[in-house]
Amino acid sequence: MLLEKKLIENLLNIGLSRGADFAEVFVEGTDSAMLQSLSGRLEKVNNNKLFGVGIRLAKKFQTVYGYTNSKNPEDLLKLAEDLSKSFNDENLTKRTPLMELEVGKRHGVKIKPSEVTLEQKVSLIKKAYKAASEYDEAIKQVVIYLNDVAQEVLIANSEGRFVTETRVRVRMMISSVAVKEGIMQTGVSGPGSGKGYEYLFDEIDIVEQAREASKMAITMLNAEECPSGVIPVVIHNGFGGVIFHEACGHPLEATSVAKNASVFCGKMGQKVASDIVTAIDDGTIENRWGSANYDDEGYPQQRRVLIEKGILKSYMIDKINGRRMNSEPTGSSRRQSYKFAPTSRMSNTYIDNGESTFEEIIAATEYGLFAKKLGGGSVNPGNGDFNFAVGEGYMIRNGKIAEPVRGASLVGNGGNILYKIDMIANNLDSARGMCGSVSGSIPADVGQPTLRVTDITVGGKRGA
Amino acid sequence: MNIEKLFKTAKDKGIEDIQVYVSNSTNLSIQIFEGEVDKYEIADSSSLIVKGIFKSKMGVYSTEVMDDEMIDEIVDTIIASATIIDSLDDAIIYGGDDHYEKVEGLYNEELTNLDVAKKISTLKEMDKAYHNYDKRVKNVETSYTETTNSFMLQNSKGLKLYNKANASFIVSEVIVNDGSDQRVGFDVKITNDFEDYKIDEMVKETTEEALQSLGAQPLPSKNYEIVFGNIAFATLFSAFQGIFSAMNVQKGLSLLKDKLNQTIGSELINVVDDPLMKKSASSRSFDDEGVATKFKYLIEKGVLKTYLHNLVTAKKDGVKSTGNGFGNGIAAVNMKIEAGETPFEEMIKSVKEGVYITNVQGAHAGANAISGDFSLQAAGFHIVDGKMADPVALITVAGNFIEMLKNVVMVGNETKMTYYGITSPAVKIESMPVSGK
Repeated sequence: MLLEKKLIENLLNIGLSRGADFAEVFVEGTDSAMLQSLSGRLEKVNNNKLFGVGIRLAKKFQTVYGYTNSKNPEDLLKLAEDLSKSFNDENLTKRTPLMELEVGKRHGVKIKPSEVTLEQKVSLIKKAYKAASEYDEAIKQVVIYLNDVAQEVLIANSEGRFVTETRVRVRMMISSVAVKEGIMQTGVSGPGSGKGYEYLFDEIDIVEQAREASKMAITMLNAEECPSGVIPVVIHNGFGGVIFHEACGHPLEATSVAKNASVFCGKMGQKVASDIVTAIDDGTIENRWGSANYDDEGYPQQRRVLIEKGILKSYMIDKINGRRMNSEPTGSSRRQSYKFAPTSRMSNTYIDNGESTFEEIIAATEYGLFAKKLGGGSVNPGNGDFNFAVGEGYMIRNGKIAEPVRGASLVGNGGNILYKIDMIANNLDSARGMCGSVSGSIPADVGQPTLRVTDITVGGKRGA
Repeated sequence: MNIEKLFKTAKDKGIEDIQVYVSNSTNLSIQIFEGEVDKYEIADSSSLIVKGIFKSKMGVYSTEVMDDEMIDEIVDTIIASATIIDSLDDAIIYGGDDHYEKVEGLYNEELTNLDVAKKISTLKEMDKAYHNYDKRVKNVETSYTETTNSFMLQNSKGLKLYNKANASFIVSEVIVNDGSDQRVGFDVKITNDFEDYKIDEMVKETTEEALQSLGAQPLPSKNYEIVFGNIAFATLFSAFQGIFSAMNVQKGLSLLKDKLNQTIGSELINVVDDPLMKKSASSRSFDDEGVATKFKYLIEKGVLKTYLHNLVTAKKDGVKSTGNGFGNGIAAVNMKIEAGETPFEEMIKSVKEGVYITNVQGAHAGANAISGDFSLQAAGFHIVDGKMADPVALITVAGNFIEMLKNVVMVGNETKMTYYGITSPAVKIESMPVSGK
């Protein structure tokens, strides 16, 4: 146990002692390792151990949060005491005795990071390096990161909630740099999972993943500058889902909805997308990158249908914003670590399969851009404007994929892009990402089938 | 943790040299929404980073658990890591410099001691000022954050250095809506002197910019003359600051490779790293490796003068470390693009048809630090015949970082320190492709 139950009860009691109506204790112990290799040589091995306790108190909409990495009961009791002083109300809320919740421990791990030797990790890196570097002689540099995290959490609150779980994730990031005539281009591949090392050792082909990164770099090395203009864009499956994540997922988080700062405010039950769009945020998918048994308020993770056939069905809601919105939490509250108060965040978010095929979509597009791999992007939740980079793109001419293009970025607005999706394929796939927002950087999966947006602003270096 | 005991255990187990970096930080954060305190945070945390050299390689362990019982695990893990590392780089732990400048004003006790009630009331005033400024102001969120960081660096070569700094910042975001369009104004002000917060000025500037951008539309796609505002240029520059790192250069990951002492930009461009800059909480007299920091030109009149070095990259290039070994790698302390001679109004007046860009988005994704290519979402104002015209949004501005530096034709005479840690003037570029409608 990360912290004695008796002490936790005391902290909750003190938390409520001056009129707060809710108290929560979040305890975390996290071990992580990061290996970095450059050109096949192991450059860095960083081990990191986190421990800390976050205490959150609330009364109606007002929250106070404090954290420390002291284990000392006196320090913790003082923190609870200091926080409780923010309230001054004689109406006290009574604490419900702690009841340990078991939703069934899913997302099991076969090979824990602590059971893997440094030698095993290094040999995996060398295997990936060999495949990436030998792909083409223009590959001049390969940077590989191998990262594993085991986060043990304990969450208890004054409403009797008491849960514990250990969340494991592993990821390898391969980045290949191709150079020719003074021009450099990069290609990336980043397989990862909410499983243990069985994922990287046995379930995926790391050689194929490494070659994929180099292939992208070589393709982009030989690409032309992307022309700019407003044109149809076919966004490929997998990481293409970052478009929905950024442009629509963030504005559907209670973090912005509760404060009336989202384009989706007051749109529940209304049409917000074309009829063929169904979008889901599902934190329960077995061992997925963004999955967990519980959210960071101790509620079981859920499957949330956000948009069904174009109609807005659900927001993603945490406890305190839920109070402002008069809504129940949806198991969506997440945080990077005890150093952050939790708030509503996405887990594994994707646009669901449609009825077209990939081939049909390309064939139906006379002229446009095929955005095969997207880079990152950002969105302004206040007005829905978004941007993201195209890492690997091709022109579409006469219904066929034509020459590769580089340097493109897509710019649009989350409020109206969903109406412009006119074809969705049946090849749903997903990819890993790290999502940064108010409660820190958390693992989040994005996904979608290949889909077409009728028109979107494409920015590139080559004029229109 | 007993550091002496750690050093002794390390030595006994065969570690050649060892260094610890012990840091402590306290935080206070207050957020106001609809006139009330919405969130309040207090925090206190410590961490220990241990670096040890074993058989000439460096192992690293960082931990927030600092009991003496951790000592064996730390030392053993460092030895295991160092044993398997096959980097060609030498590991170095530094004995220290003869002289370290003193940085004045890094820690301002008055800020820490100032009553929380005053901090809250200032924010509430600001919230009110925003709401009262214009009836199109729909939504306001303001927050105040204050941090105090202290750390101690100590190593087995006898070096022991200490630093303590505090800083605070007010972030405000305002949403304006005129019934047909909605825009967001955003501002961050950083200081460790509470008197520097001029609430009314901040409210006016942020709200005006948001109001003026109501109704913003994309421009037709073509090449335009471009004037970058301070914040926009600093944002763009921050996406490329890694190219100055000697580590990236040596590993073939920087577009500045083989460019030392060559012209890489217009002669109007001067870029410095000023580690002792006043009013910056990042200012430091020594880096995380214990090397004394110093003022230097990175680009002088368009010529690349130096890369940023830590101990390892400096040894490789046969030069002295520039005192930029921070964290796991290399970073500038206070990067600053020096002011030029052109007043802002004159810069705008000189434009026949162009865009004044007030902010760029997506710099972490739309900029390729290796090729120098970028394509970023931008917003600002159309400039026609030397006059500011309609607001512009949802355009992208694209180019190559080096080509852009060469095409700088005017540099503004006023600089601003931004929350990216980069200080920049406004800059005019001869021509860049803009993509819009």
